[in-house]
Amino acid sequence: MEEGVLRVMEKPNEKQILLFYCMESEDLARKVAEQSPLIQLQSINWRSFDDGFPNLFINNAQYIRGQHVAFLASFSSPAVIFEQLSVIFALPRLFVASFTLVLPFFPTGSFERMEEEGDVATAFTMARILSNIPISRGGPTSLVIYDIHALQERFYFSDHVLPLFETGIPLLKQRLHQLPDTDNVVVAFPDDGAWKRFHKLLDHFPMVVCAKVREGNKRIVRLKEGNPAGCHVVIVDDLVQSGGTLIECQKVLAAHGASKVSAYVTHSVFPKRSWERFIHKNDGSEKAFTYFWTTDSCPLTVKAIGNRAPFEILSLAGSIAEALQI
Amino acid sequence: MLAVKHMSPAPPLHCSFSAPIQTLKPTLTLPLIPFLKKDKFRFRCELTSFGKPQKWAVEFDSTTIPNPRPVLMASTATLTSSPRNAKKVCLFYCAETKALAERIAAESDAIELRSITWRTFEDGFPNLFISNAQGIRGQHVAFLASFSSPGVIFEQLSVIYALPKLFISSFTLVLPFFPTGTSERMEEEGDIATAFTLARILSNIPISRGGPTSLVTFDIHALQERFYFGDNILPCFDSGIPLLKARLQQLPDSDNISIAFPDDGAWKRFHKQLQHFPTIVCAKVREGNQRIVRIKEGDPKGRHVVIVDDLVQSGGTLIECQKVLASHGAAKISAYVTHGIFPNRSWQRFGEDKGGCPANGLTYFWITDSCPLTVKEVKNKPPFEVLSLARSIAATLQI
Repeated sequence: MEEGVLRVMEKPNEKQILLFYCMESEDLARKVAEQSPLIQLQSINWRSFDDGFPNLFINNAQYIRGQHVAFLASFSSPAVIFEQLSVIFALPRLFVASFTLVLPFFPTGSFERMEEEGDVATAFTMARILSNIPISRGGPTSLVIYDIHALQERFYFSDHVLPLFETGIPLLKQRLHQLPDTDNVVVAFPDDGAWKRFHKLLDHFPMVVCAKVREGNKRIVRLKEGNPAGCHVVIVDDLVQSGGTLIECQKVLAAHGASKVSAYVTHSVFPKRSWERFIHKNDGSEKAFTYFWTTDSCPLTVKAIGNRAPFEILSLAGSIAEALQI
Repeated sequence: MLAVKHMSPAPPLHCSFSAPIQTLKPTLTLPLIPFLKKDKFRFRCELTSFGKPQKWAVEFDSTTIPNPRPVLMASTATLTSSPRNAKKVCLFYCAETKALAERIAAESDAIELRSITWRTFEDGFPNLFISNAQGIRGQHVAFLASFSSPGVIFEQLSVIYALPKLFISSFTLVLPFFPTGTSERMEEEGDIATAFTLARILSNIPISRGGPTSLVTFDIHALQERFYFGDNILPCFDSGIPLLKARLQQLPDSDNISIAFPDDGAWKRFHKQLQHFPTIVCAKVREGNQRIVRIKEGDPKGRHVVIVDDLVQSGGTLIECQKVLASHGAAKISAYVTHGIFPNRSWQRFGEDKGGCPANGLTYFWITDSCPLTVKEVKNKPPFEVLSLARSIAATLQI
């Protein structure tokens, strides 16, 4: 079909990017490279010494001189941080033209404040470590992060890095427009935090806002504003851990008459395989979530979930490929 | 009358001592730091009239305030350094280093252990809380770290980055063993020197009111590594060799000891501290495809040879040295390393030589307690003997 195809005018100075990646992120790296002939995958030897410390080698290190270089990282657990950090600290000093760190999911993001003296805000530790990336000939490192948990965290970084805060919401919007019942979609936020983060990006949809309310010793989810009756409600949040909050929201929305409930989170953390409680069972039992959309920012989870309903993976590859051109 | 001057919040107490203290006319040379022990106030004071400073603990039963009756407790061990200069240090530690931290605190009354709650969130990331954070304001604070594997670095780093910003008067990071130390150079472009990564991370510790953080580490692998650190950190390079020397002097055959270095690197690091012993230097020589250990200088014949190096991994190098020394007539062979890394339980290859068979066993294998996980495994298992860094660290904390 020829009509409707847009021709993108190629900018004369579009950058060639050499993309390194950690082992966990190989699938996403390949998808990013497929988006554009300008993005070329490079490799690192990831080995360990007997004492557990990393034994790393950047292949073809001299070739990257004068090139724009990027590293696709994934800090899925504290244990993998040091090896990736060693590469991240080394690459900018190999006479590259510029360095970009793509860290789709910034972990520790929900531990970013001190409510009492003695609290240790590990998001600050993480931001500090990343702020210490050496500058390269291209100046400060660009740091690409999707849907960071707290909006204030942009100020945790020093001037030696340039954080670029992206979002997965456009992927959701595109997907929602493809649904047959797209006119009946209502967006729900599980709490005010999620509303603050996302309502501006989704303001053309009717909205519902939930809230956690204290009743005695318990905290229960209530509907604060909006009306889900008869609609396909899509709960939107930045991340999911065990999924408890989402499940409670779904119950309240269903009780208020939502005809279908789906969910979108950018980051599926799902520790200890907690995604299993969402899987559709083939025993005819009622399906709580019609769709559960998430991105491939957390590669280990995405690998474990595979293609199982209701999960659908919306890939960040296209968005990352574009961000690398900035 | 003894006027007791102390830190807030308690008001000054005046109390009289019965003889014989009155005749000594003690003078106080320290501001006293009272700490509550249930119903009693406990003061430590220094009596200097007789030239030899002695520390006494004085316990006041607060139920008898406003005229508390002091009870003199036994004098605590005299410190070799003048208590006049003792700075009180709040010592935090991680789970792995608890035993060493307790030993350090036992070395000096000026060192007080503090606790941190170490928990994990479901996603594996740390959930940490520094108890009594306000209580450390204005205090000298130290943290005893141990980076035994990459996985434990992030949680300890979070505490290390947080402590200096809690209005403390100074911060010291004690990291007895600096891992990655052997990966400190780029032989070809593409090599990643993880020692540089670690030095960079540590150089980024926030400064505190006491200025740059002091970093105490023992027998760092490569002497050039001191220059890997930025200006916001003051590395203090200490050594475990004095512990070895003290131990060697206790041996019945202490006048028959020779020191052997497995390679030139070890010789460069340690020969100056061990000058008064006869020396043997080994070297790895290429013969065809193989690399074998040879004796480069010195003669082990009839001697009790102690192989000295900074660390041991699998132990392969030590074992080859041992064989060469035995075949050249060493009567007994022992080994000393500051850091017993021993991945994958490789310490099991070292058996004890109970007499006459130095090719197959060691008389002693000394390690320090810089690598706490190993210490747990080899404690009380001959030929291993653990020499503790506690006293050395306690002294360094006073710098």
